[in-house]
Amino acid sequence: MHFYWYKFKLLLAMLTARLADVSVFLGIVLLGGLGTSWYMVEAGSAITTYSAGPWVTWRNAARADADPYTRAHFARLGAMPLSTDIARTYVARTDSAGNRLHSSCEYVIEGDELGAHWWSLTAFDDRGALIPNIAGRHAFTSQTMTIAPDGHFMLTMARDARPGNWLPTGGAGRIALVLEIVEGRVSTLAASPETEAAMLPEIRQVQCR
Amino acid sequence: MKLRLQRPRMRWRLVLAALVSIGILHIVSILVAPSLAVAPAFVRLEPLLPLNKMVVLPPVTPGTQPLPFLSPNVRYAMCRFATDKGAIEVQARLPGAGWTLSVHLEGGENIYTATAEPGRFAEVRILLMPGDDRFLGLTPEARGIAREGPGMLEIPARSGIAVVRAPDAGIAFPRQIEADLARASCAPQ
Repeated sequence: MHFYWYKFKLLLAMLTARLADVSVFLGIVLLGGLGTSWYMVEAGSAITTYSAGPWVTWRNAARADADPYTRAHFARLGAMPLSTDIARTYVARTDSAGNRLHSSCEYVIEGDELGAHWWSLTAFDDRGALIPNIAGRHAFTSQTMTIAPDGHFMLTMARDARPGNWLPTGGAGRIALVLEIVEGRVSTLAASPETEAAMLPEIRQVQCR
Repeated sequence: MKLRLQRPRMRWRLVLAALVSIGILHIVSILVAPSLAVAPAFVRLEPLLPLNKMVVLPPVTPGTQPLPFLSPNVRYAMCRFATDKGAIEVQARLPGAGWTLSVHLEGGENIYTATAEPGRFAEVRILLMPGDDRFLGLTPEARGIAREGPGMLEIPARSGIAVVRAPDAGIAFPRQIEADLARASCAPQ
């Protein structure tokens, strides 16, 4: 009787070990497969995105020959950008020092004229929704921004009103700042995003509450 | 029956199988992700846009933003098109810098874009048609009808959205921008 009981316990232990092996295997496969997919679609990699300081752009956004990661990213996001042949969309979720952009802080965005036909700087919340504010102001463009005669511009992104170019952030929480650059027939940007890095504005945190 | 408990050891075949499985799952999930997306841009815009008709969208505000990360300092006219019953002609006047006419397929691919040069306006006419229309005799020429006006660019596309983007030029211009957008058209030919 003891012998059979011993054999049964051994069998049970072996089955449990097998089951644990299969569970661990499936867990690792699911975590690894879906986790890496999620990361590559959500954040991108050096293959699909280009980063310059806090600014990140998808290299093949909306192109007919876009890679599967880029297609999946924009399908999931629900956005419909212009092709990178003609426009570039940079998203900054941190300031130039790497700190997360947040509506409780005040930022200065400083740069020089981008030399493009048209560009805009827009503040969204983390999910891409416009931030409601009393001023009804959500963006500045190359046509509405006050730019100094030497081409320098300075924009303040803050909860409360500031003199000059002021972009209200309300109580949005985490912020995504989007720089959209639209080029004309003769593009100065189409060569590569690397050439644009020096032109992109700096995002400097002034203070936090 | 010989039973024994295995000692824990590195099972290289299992590790290799896991790596291969991870790779396969990664590739499959990336490839099917666009078709599994809950609300891609086309799906979000579909209820707002009647078929084959250009619609000037209201200004983009927190309450009327149809797509995430859509620039609020741009006015949009959009046309959801389908060329299964014939070619669709899209016309737009692009009066200045930043104005664009773009054609996006259902998956979001931007297959055509026309932009205006600063200080110059452009009249753009394009013909959207399925790639094999030439051979099915659906084009006006194939039906013996001569086209009016300058030649049009023919773009193969079965369904998607044509978008006219009009950048905000300041508080003095919204009426003019709206009038220019309203002139854009999209209709079966």
